[in-house]
Amino acid sequence: MGSGPLGPDPIRSIPYRSDGSREVPALQTGAFFVSVARHRRIFGACRYNRAVREQIVRGAGLVVAIAYASAITWTYVRQPETVAQVTGGLAAGVGAYRIDPQAFADGLTFFKNDQFVEARAAFARADPAEQDARTQFYIAYSYYRQGWGRIYSDDVLFSEGLKRVDLAIARAPAGRLVVDDPNLQLHSADELRAELDAGLRRDASDFNPLRVMRKRK
Amino acid sequence: MSAVREAFILPLLFLTIALFGGLDPGAPAPWNPPSLFSLVLAVMVMAALVRSGTLAPDRLMHGSRPIVANANGLVVLLSLFAASAQVLNMLTPRSGLPSLIVGVVLFVLLLNTLVMSPDRPRLLRSFAVVTGSAFVLKFVILASLADPEGGRTKRVLLALFDVATLGTISQAPLHSAAGYWAFVLVLLFLAAVALLPPASYRSTAALPPYGERALTRTE
Repeated sequence: MGSGPLGPDPIRSIPYRSDGSREVPALQTGAFFVSVARHRRIFGACRYNRAVREQIVRGAGLVVAIAYASAITWTYVRQPETVAQVTGGLAAGVGAYRIDPQAFADGLTFFKNDQFVEARAAFARADPAEQDARTQFYIAYSYYRQGWGRIYSDDVLFSEGLKRVDLAIARAPAGRLVVDDPNLQLHSADELRAELDAGLRRDASDFNPLRVMRKRK
Repeated sequence: MSAVREAFILPLLFLTIALFGGLDPGAPAPWNPPSLFSLVLAVMVMAALVRSGTLAPDRLMHGSRPIVANANGLVVLLSLFAASAQVLNMLTPRSGLPSLIVGVVLFVLLLNTLVMSPDRPRLLRSFAVVTGSAFVLKFVILASLADPEGGRTKRVLLALFDVATLGTISQAPLHSAAGYWAFVLVLLFLAAVALLPPASYRSTAALPPYGERALTRTE
């Protein structure tokens, strides 16, 4: 107490006499008055700064804790399995997520050539966090085309396709996804989902011999 | 308690425990929220902390404190609750008879702690023993019984053990890192609980017998 940027308090530094009194100069005169006033103003400012600093620390801590708690809630709701999904999901949350355009183009090329396994590998590279609805749509479509058959469909591939198209719908704004690609016959995620769902269903139409005439979409 | 500890250190420690306490690596849904029973146990942990003076809620939330400080205190209390629930959930075996037994034992131990009202050092020691025992049971003993690795003799013995116990003891195999992860989280939890603001004590003037000074709560 009593010392600061200007040294000790001018009044407190005046020594006491043996009878307990001390000679304090008249405050209204000259440099001594200015010195005392400056000293106390700076001490007041220090106290003020300490209080403000504490408020800033508390406010920043509150913001950080709320952001962290939000990230935890997001994690438990979305159930990411890889670090890429965590970082990509958080980036998508603030609108900063971008897919790799080169890998996506590679995937499209493989997809058009009916190289579905290669296409899915490229699409997975393009969208490692599984946050892009269009990429997930193409992955689902690749499962559909690979699993489609004239006599029967591959249930495992169709099930994977159904999962992916559900993911694409979940990632699309308001759940609506339409892809303008002339190479596709199913342009919306809803159509693709219905097709995959129909392929997994067992009913009397499965025994219709005219099924062999149908075409892959 | 300093503003940094209240605003940063304690919330971040407890939130980290709450986040990773539910992690089950390798599972299809790797992030497990706490069970309802672990929420009940967490309430009992909070009550035990307050009754023992390990945690003074009025030092975190009080009418005389500014709004931001009270908000920091609320975050500490909520994150402590979440971390307690996740730690107890993490230490409870997932299925079978061990899950039931550990759940009942934890409940009885916490109830006993509440009734006994120990002081702060004793409660911290008690927590260390309870969490340490549950850790050893789940991540050492039961994990070794569920370990798919090992020679033919071990697998035959485990199969016989499984038959003898009607499959009620064996657990799903844990990820190799799960035990290490849980160990770190338990240590973090105990350290964070020790950092909570304790209730104020006063020392009685008269010395009791055996040269020890009695402590009396003043809240």
